[in-house]
Amino acid sequence: MTQEITKHPKRFDYKDIETLQRYMNAQGRIHSAQRTGLKARQQRKLKRAIKYARFLSLLPYGI
Amino acid sequence: MENKQYAYQVMFLLDNEEVRAQGFNATRDWVRTTLEKHGADVKVLRLWAEQALAYPIAGRKRATYLMGWIMAGQETVSATKREMYLLGPVFRILFLREDEIPEDELGIGIEDADIDVPEEIEEEYIEEYITGSDKKKDAEKDAEKDSGEDSEEDSGKSKKKEEAEGSASEKTPEPAVAASNEKE
Repeated sequence: MTQEITKHPKRFDYKDIETLQRYMNAQGRIHSAQRTGLKARQQRKLKRAIKYARFLSLLPYGI
Repeated sequence: MENKQYAYQVMFLLDNEEVRAQGFNATRDWVRTTLEKHGADVKVLRLWAEQALAYPIAGRKRATYLMGWIMAGQETVSATKREMYLLGPVFRILFLREDEIPEDELGIGIEDADIDVPEEIEEEYIEEYITGSDKKKDAEKDAEKDSGEDSEEDSGKSKKKEEAEGSASEKTPEPAVAASNEKE
């Protein structure tokens, strides 16, 4: 069952791990745009922020 | 070629061993001098966090995050990265180009910090310590149980065994003997 996140931040910051984790599943994968309910540009920004956080070892690549 | 200056947000992931050995301020100064050597104007450089990593890097499970805001050209980024990865106590460097440096960050400037970097505890040591202590405890418990059970049950068990052996020999003859009896 997919549950859309209703409140999105204005800007995705790679340092805001708690917010980014809301858009990831337990295995550390990014939710699809259908599930997040984000527009394409925002989904890309989310993806980029998560990847920066992974690079800096703030978030895991996978569990 | 025009050397245009841009605002960059920079994040450095520093080795805790170096930070502990040299001190945070000395490590930060090394980062600052390296940036300035390649033509960057360092506006902000401060401690962001000292925390556990999501995955180990070079055998380390904790690291220090140093955050900065600089004004620099494009060539500065690549030159700084090259030098820092080769020589410095830096695991990761992230340069992000931004429109402008936020005012609240500009107010911080280059900040000193006194941090106590905890020593890295090797996992093997922890495992040995835990399993070793558990094994000792288990062995002690087993020894206690054995000694208690032996003293109580030994006499009973031996009696039971003797009875069982006696009854078995009386009731059931050996198969070879039984077969010879049938033939006769």
